[in-house]
Amino acid sequence: MSDAQSGVKVRLWDGPVRIVHWLLVALIGFSWWASDDHLDWHQWSGYTIIALVVFRIFWGFAGAGAARFSSFVRGPRATLGYLKTLGSRAPSTTPGHNPLGALSILVLLLLLMAQLGTGLFAVDVDAYQGGPLSDRVSFELGRQLADIHDLIFHALQAVVGLHVAAVLFYLVWKRTNLISPMITGQRELPGDPGFGRAPWWRLVFGIVLATVIALALSKGLRF
Amino acid sequence: MTKLMSKSATLAFALGIGAVIAAGGAFAHNDPMPKGKMTPAAHAAHMRHENFESLGKAFKAVIDETKKSDPDKALVQKSTRTMATLATGLPTWFPRGSGVEARPKSEAKANIWTDAAGFSAAASAAQVQVSKLNQAALSGDMGAVRAQIRATGGSCKGCHDKYRQEKKD
Repeated sequence: MSDAQSGVKVRLWDGPVRIVHWLLVALIGFSWWASDDHLDWHQWSGYTIIALVVFRIFWGFAGAGAARFSSFVRGPRATLGYLKTLGSRAPSTTPGHNPLGALSILVLLLLLMAQLGTGLFAVDVDAYQGGPLSDRVSFELGRQLADIHDLIFHALQAVVGLHVAAVLFYLVWKRTNLISPMITGQRELPGDPGFGRAPWWRLVFGIVLATVIALALSKGLRF
Repeated sequence: MTKLMSKSATLAFALGIGAVIAAGGAFAHNDPMPKGKMTPAAHAAHMRHENFESLGKAFKAVIDETKKSDPDKALVQKSTRTMATLATGLPTWFPRGSGVEARPKSEAKANIWTDAAGFSAAASAAQVQVSKLNQAALSGDMGAVRAQIRATGGSCKGCHDKYRQEKKD
C-alpha cells in the first residue's frame, strides 16, 4: 500500500466526483430497496440520480483533471495493452481511471441512462403508479418498459459487482488502495500529472443544469 | 484524442441501444390468446390475462386523463364503467386448476385456491373501490375521481401482494 517510495501527493478526485460517486452508491441501493413497496420514494430517488448522472456527464466535459472523459477514455489498443499488464503485481499508477476502469465507467453511465430512461415511462402492474412520462405510452408498452427496467437493473448489479471486485483485486493483488482516494481525493503517485481545476462557475452551471433537467422530468415535462 | 473518444462513445452508445432493443424483443409482453384447441382451464387462464390487461389499460386511461387540467369526462366514465364491469366478473376468472398448471406464464399463486376465503375478501374489496371510482366518475366530479384513485390502486396492490407471483418471461 506504500506504492510510491518517492511519490507525490496528488489531488486526484475533486469534490464533485467523490460526492456523485458516493451519492450514487447510496441512492442506487435505496432505489433497489424502495422498488418493492415504496414507489413514491423510488421515484424521488430516481430523479436525484437523473440529476447526478446529468451533472457527471456535464462534468466529464466541463470539469478538470481526472474527471474529464478525455483524460480516461482510451481506444481498444490502449485498453488491450493495459489488459496485458493486469496480472503483474506492480502497483497501479494510472492517475485516474485506467483504460479498463474507463470502460466500466462508460458502461455504468450508459446502463444508468437506460435505467433512468425506462423508469420515466414504466408502468406498475396495478397501473396505479408509473413514471412521470408514462402517460405518453400505452399500458402494454409501459409494462414492457418496466420489465426492461428490471432487466437493466440486473445488468447494473453485475457491473457494480465487477467494479467492487476490481477494486478489491487492486487492493489485494496489486497492493494499490483505490478506496481511500475516492474518500479523501488524495493519492500518492510517482509523478504529478499536473491536473488543473475547473473554474467555480462551471460547477454552479452544472448543478443548475442538472437540477433543472431532473425537476422538469419529474414533472413529466408539464409546466 | 477527442476524435477517438467520440468514436468509442458512439460505439458504446450503439451497443447500449442494441442491448435495449434486444431486451425488448425478448419480452414479448402482449401474450395473445393461442389459437386452436385448449383445455377449459387453459382458456380461463388466458382469458384472465386478457381481462387484467384490459383492466390495467382502463385504469391507466383514468389516471392519465385526470392528470390533465381539463380531463375528458366521457373518456373517464367509459373507462370506469369498463373497470366496474371487469371487477364484477373478476371472482369468476379463477376456476380451480387455472393456475400455472394451465398456463405456465400465469402469475396466479396457489393460495388463491388454498386460501379461497381470503382471496374472495380481497377481490370484493377491489370491487368496492372500483365501484366507488365509477360512482365518482358518473357524478361528473373529476376531483372525486382523483381522490378515489389511490384507494383503488391500493385495492389492486392488496390482492397482488398476496396472491400474485411475479413471473419473468
